[in-house]
Amino acid sequence: MTIASGTVREAAIAAPPPASAATSPARPRKRRQLTRNRWGYAYVAPFFLVFAAFSLYPFMYTAWVSLHETSLSNINGGTWVGLENYRNLLQSEFFWNATRNTFTIGILATVPQLCMALGLAHLLNYKLRGRTFFRTVMLMPYATSIAAATLVFSQLFGRDYGLINTMLEAVGLQAIDWEAGTVSSQVAIAVIVTWRWTGYNALIYLAAMQSIPGELYEAAEIDGASKWKQFLHVTIPSLRPTILFTIVVSTIGAVQLFGEPLLFAGNGTTSGGASGQYQTLGLLMYQQGWSNFHIGQAATTAWAMFMIILVIVGVNAVIGRLRNRADR
Amino acid sequence: MATVSFQQASRIYPKAERPAVDALDLEIADGEFLVLVGPSGCGKSTSLRMLAGLEEVDTGSIVIGDRDVTDSPPKERDIAMVFQNYALYPHMTVEENMGFALKLAGISKDERATRVREAAKILDLEPYLARRPKALSGGQRQRVAMGRAIVRNPQVFLMDEPLSNLDAKLRVQTRTQIAALQRRLGTTTVYVTHDQVEAMTMGDRVAVLKDGVLQQCDTPGELYDRPANVFVAGFIGSPAMNLVTGDAVDGGVQVGNAVLPVPREQLTRAAASNGKVTVGFRPEAVRLAGPGEGLPVRVDVVEQLGSDAFLYTSLADAPDDVLHSADLVVRTEPRSAVTTGQQLWLSTDRGAVHVFDAQTQQRVD
Repeated sequence: MTIASGTVREAAIAAPPPASAATSPARPRKRRQLTRNRWGYAYVAPFFLVFAAFSLYPFMYTAWVSLHETSLSNINGGTWVGLENYRNLLQSEFFWNATRNTFTIGILATVPQLCMALGLAHLLNYKLRGRTFFRTVMLMPYATSIAAATLVFSQLFGRDYGLINTMLEAVGLQAIDWEAGTVSSQVAIAVIVTWRWTGYNALIYLAAMQSIPGELYEAAEIDGASKWKQFLHVTIPSLRPTILFTIVVSTIGAVQLFGEPLLFAGNGTTSGGASGQYQTLGLLMYQQGWSNFHIGQAATTAWAMFMIILVIVGVNAVIGRLRNRADR
Repeated sequence: MATVSFQQASRIYPKAERPAVDALDLEIADGEFLVLVGPSGCGKSTSLRMLAGLEEVDTGSIVIGDRDVTDSPPKERDIAMVFQNYALYPHMTVEENMGFALKLAGISKDERATRVREAAKILDLEPYLARRPKALSGGQRQRVAMGRAIVRNPQVFLMDEPLSNLDAKLRVQTRTQIAALQRRLGTTTVYVTHDQVEAMTMGDRVAVLKDGVLQQCDTPGELYDRPANVFVAGFIGSPAMNLVTGDAVDGGVQVGNAVLPVPREQLTRAAASNGKVTVGFRPEAVRLAGPGEGLPVRVDVVEQLGSDAFLYTSLADAPDDVLHSADLVVRTEPRSAVTTGQQLWLSTDRGAVHVFDAQTQQRVD
């Protein structure tokens, strides 16, 4: 009895040390891992240094400037006005006009652009003669400079001798003064954006389509699905993450829209048409800062654009997460 | 349920040197389980895909029931297929996966649910109906793929190596389940595999293909006992049949310095083309003989399997060039005292010897 209990006690005494031995190395191991990763941090440092100097610093500086009443010639010496610039912006009809225009042009450009890109990618995914040629051609608009493309397009949309109006008149329709109307000018700009970005998005879709296993289509075919149903039930669901990605990228591009409406005016003014009918937020910001020299106000607009993008991307992320949760 | 028949069906890929499937003639009875087997590239999958309508038929025709389906698209053939990688729709639940074909066929939601539930019950999938393929194990995915075929109640099941993505143990288990399920449903089934054990255990009949040409189509027993040519003899059975080629001499075939006895009449006919004869005998048809009798061999490797043991041997007195072409496998009692390097003498059971013409490779009886 005593011998037995003695051994039990001995065992109990012997037991704790292994346990503490097991827990104590855990902390040093973590520290050791960090030291071992030291070179990793060194390797990524250059990017973050450049990022800090050329992105983070201007970003924060813009926020600082937006709190001042200051002009382009005297950026550092403005007077502190707090949130005054933001209040002015929210009360400015120009801001709301530009926001409205940015959104309508964005929707007019993004929706058809992505739909067409999807269709194009689907067609180019078939085995057809000269496929590489078509794929290259598709990407050409993306490689064209905005300035060149927009100049050509503003010729096409010209009121008096524009090709489109000539064609409209040829079939007995009335010529449209594209630049003067609100809807017509926005449609014209949306066409330019669509022309430029459709191929780019199609290429992204095409890459995603090629990773869909062929067996899925064969299974669907045996299940009795027509080509259209296969597109609907196999292609689209498989592309969902890609589609979400292109929506986010196109939306960011749409909020920042600048070159097309600027050059569409033809005379390089930032007013976006006689009554600002196609002035986007990008144009407004430029006008405030570089035409009216209110650099503080321009910085405020820039921050407003950033906030809008954040909200849109956030909403997209939430939708994506909700869908993922529904999937599980 | 229906019969299936391939009539001189060929598939020739553009720019290919020879047809992938060459004038395939095959009659599959109503309710039969037919296995297409062969090494990779033999045209077994292509044959199946031709039947499915996923591959063109260049010449000849394919008939299901009494309908010529040679040029019909897959959906008009009333078939269901189980793919090697299952090809489950990743964004659909198990229930939606199984019911997709019914949905496309315009069958009401209620009936769809009933039929899917029935199939799920048979396959033990009821707890997983709301899950997506991603959340299933390999075996469960395989069963969903089976379920997708079953719910449609098609005329013919087509299965393209459905077990090759499962681990060895599950494969054996699922093998029997599929065979039992097919007998229960009585649906005509064409099953493709490269594994001859699968073929032998599952099929009512087994069709052996090589280089796009049908070698033999028979019951597993016949295939094992009476292979039609040297290829089938070597392909069916594990370990493979021992095949030795030698000159025909008086009383048998010369192998090294010994003579393997072959009945006179068979020997004469087999040697008719060029005087050489191929003799085959299975590992279990070999007996250990006394010293000096039969073929002298040296034991290279002893494989202990518990239930029995296999001796991998080579001819002891053969000239070097024959040495490696004439490795002989012998099945013995599991606890025999044979060791590596030992010299043995082998004799074959009379009547268990298969004789082939070495030139034409065809069986001679």
